[in-house]
Amino acid sequence: MAAICFYFQVHQPYRLKNYSFVKIGKDHFYEATALNVEILNRVADRCYLPANRLMKSLIDENDGKFKISYSITGTCLEQLHRHRPDVIDSFRKLYETGCVEFFSETYYHSLAALYSLPEFERQVKMHEKAMLNILGVKTKVFRNTELMYQNGFADVLDNLGYKMVLAEGSIKYLGKEAANQIFIATNQKTKILPRNFIFSDDIAFRFSDPSWSEYPLMADTFASWLHKIEDPGGSINLFMDYETFGEHRKTETGIFEFMKHLPTQILKDKNFHFATPSDLLKIKKPNPPVYNATTWSSWADEDKDASAWTEDNMQKDALKKIYALEQPLLTLKKPDLLDVWGKLQTSDHFYYMSTRYRNDATHQAFSPYKSPYDAYLNYMNVLSDFEGLIGK
Amino acid sequence: MLTGGLGTACYGLVKALSQYADVQLIIPQADRNQNLENVKIKGLNYYGVTGEDAIEVPEVPLEEYAKVHKVPAEFSNPYPVGIGFAKEAKALVAPEAIRALYSTGEPYGPNIMQKVATYAEVVSRMALEMDFDVIHAHDWITYPAAVKIKEMTGKPLVVHVHSLETDRVGEKAKGEWNKVFEVEYKGMLKADRVIPVSRYTQECAMEHYGIAEEKFFPVHNAIDPAETFRIPNKSGEKLVLFLGRVTFQKGPEFMVETAWKLLQVYPKVMFFVAGVGDMMDDLKKKVLERKIDHKFVFAGFLSKTNVKKVLAQADVYFMPSVSEPFGLSALEAAQFDVPCVISRQSGVSEVLPNALNADFWDTEKFANYIYGLLNYEGIREDMVSKTRKDIAQLSWDDSAQDVMEVYHSLGV
Repeated sequence: MAAICFYFQVHQPYRLKNYSFVKIGKDHFYEATALNVEILNRVADRCYLPANRLMKSLIDENDGKFKISYSITGTCLEQLHRHRPDVIDSFRKLYETGCVEFFSETYYHSLAALYSLPEFERQVKMHEKAMLNILGVKTKVFRNTELMYQNGFADVLDNLGYKMVLAEGSIKYLGKEAANQIFIATNQKTKILPRNFIFSDDIAFRFSDPSWSEYPLMADTFASWLHKIEDPGGSINLFMDYETFGEHRKTETGIFEFMKHLPTQILKDKNFHFATPSDLLKIKKPNPPVYNATTWSSWADEDKDASAWTEDNMQKDALKKIYALEQPLLTLKKPDLLDVWGKLQTSDHFYYMSTRYRNDATHQAFSPYKSPYDAYLNYMNVLSDFEGLIGK
Repeated sequence: MLTGGLGTACYGLVKALSQYADVQLIIPQADRNQNLENVKIKGLNYYGVTGEDAIEVPEVPLEEYAKVHKVPAEFSNPYPVGIGFAKEAKALVAPEAIRALYSTGEPYGPNIMQKVATYAEVVSRMALEMDFDVIHAHDWITYPAAVKIKEMTGKPLVVHVHSLETDRVGEKAKGEWNKVFEVEYKGMLKADRVIPVSRYTQECAMEHYGIAEEKFFPVHNAIDPAETFRIPNKSGEKLVLFLGRVTFQKGPEFMVETAWKLLQVYPKVMFFVAGVGDMMDDLKKKVLERKIDHKFVFAGFLSKTNVKKVLAQADVYFMPSVSEPFGLSALEAAQFDVPCVISRQSGVSEVLPNALNADFWDTEKFANYIYGLLNYEGIREDMVSKTRKDIAQLSWDDSAQDVMEVYHSLGV
């Protein structure tokens, strides 16, 4: 029996407002609130609500045989809770079906795992609490920001009680092993679900590309590709942004129609079923292959590493400066400042500063800035003011 | 050769073009110390004398040609040196007078229209005796000659636009007495192809002159590799460099606004102004009014050697031009690893994607950029290293090949 494991990432950052140097020391409010609410409303109406409706109906129609998972960042959860409680309700209803799993991650969708483990732990606990308080969900499986993972990280997760983590299924980290199985970390304890990036990106990226040889992709065709996979006794992991539905790929592309027909098409082959990572945790298979990432892996770009966030001097400088505030903030013990600090750690800010991927359509679609330099300068102005508040 | 961007650009382009085509260069004022391999250069300052670069006097005497109106005295002067007219301009015919006209060492000048008229008369006469396939004219001063040659020979005409009167004087270009606008319009209208030095200049030519889009084929300027160096700045104050003529076109008033905004927050900076121009007094007055005169150095016109020395010390190159067809000096600054903050209304921003640009009137944004470059250490190295790659992409050879493509498109 081969499992299909669908997981959708739900995230919205707190984008910064246009913060000119003249505001430093005078204006301590950094968020582009109107813009953030506008985008949230747009994505809620185009993606979250209709996609949740679709997923709910697919679960109902298939008598619980269709299962999916989500990870919702704290920054998104918080904004939805405040501005779009209807979306929170619809996620809650999905959870009540018993066919939906939610994961843990850093509250602020941050890179804390790379720069400060105590801060990482703080954010994971915050996220666990928010999931419980807002959605009533107890999380068991972990996914890190942008699927970032490296070998030593498994022990950190193990200490926090997580038995399974999601990661990118690049050949760089899987070696010669077939992608569609459950891997184990180098600590021989933590289970790793690698993303099948080819099938995932067929839906997330190539689906609406007219120059793609398989365009337009139909559900039966896609299901037939999955059916042809030799079953390695694991799962085919389709991980993508939830915003793929209706936001990155507009409704007119037929993405909702595609998804509507996909479960039935996949279940036509009796050897296939849907699973959540927690279902997969129950599988006991001797000698699983080892997932080996000696440096940080991620699901981004072609390199599948952390370079899109950390490679440029601007990114390094901004990251160094934001994480240098940890000690002063811990001394101050002011929750409101800690929250601002957390929001400034959101990985999106650093992604916008990437020069290498400047002309990449994906990067451009996400960034509210005209250039990576604008992103850096705006961030640094904000950070200068924030440093002033901390007295650094 | 002419001063400023036009001369530098023509030199670079013609040098590269001579690999692919037989180039005969006829310029108002040649310099016998400045030769170009494979290029025959003739200068009107050697009219009627002997030598390879000299121009023979035709058997049938020259005719007086253009008549130009008087220019009002209050006309603000955008050119490197004086322009204006004491009387109506007619082409000169006497060899001695022609030689004298082009031997002043002063480009443009008060009798510019006479120079243009005489150039048209002499060069069109020369063209009748020459064997050539295409006429390629650079900027308005040569357009009347080029149009005349096209009319006489029927050979295809390419006009190269390095700068437009609308760039230099703005809306005043369309004033009734401004014959330069007319000359430019007629040149582009009669041309078979127009080569602007940027997409920006193409847009200007289309918008202000109404020239049809299909005529255009933009070819960017380039820059030859050069030895660069850095001189450590020990003054304790950062150096922002403005390099160019102090004229309406270069946006000196926006520099003052930017400087004032920056200095309110960040006082450890000097503005170094290298250049002269008709708005110099106005600039100094504005700086005084804003009480930031102690933060400005007015260095006047600098030699090439001195420009390099200043570039080697500058922390930021600032070009707030109101309308800059290209902006070669920004490339020179970038070559010296100086991060550039430049006007979006410029051609050079098309080839320097890793410079910071803003609309020329957006002085807070300019100030914000300069502030960032002077305060945040992460950005300089990223900009400079990417800009090095951008510059390495540029070559006069590529530009010359683009020009050849234009010729080929005319069946040449």
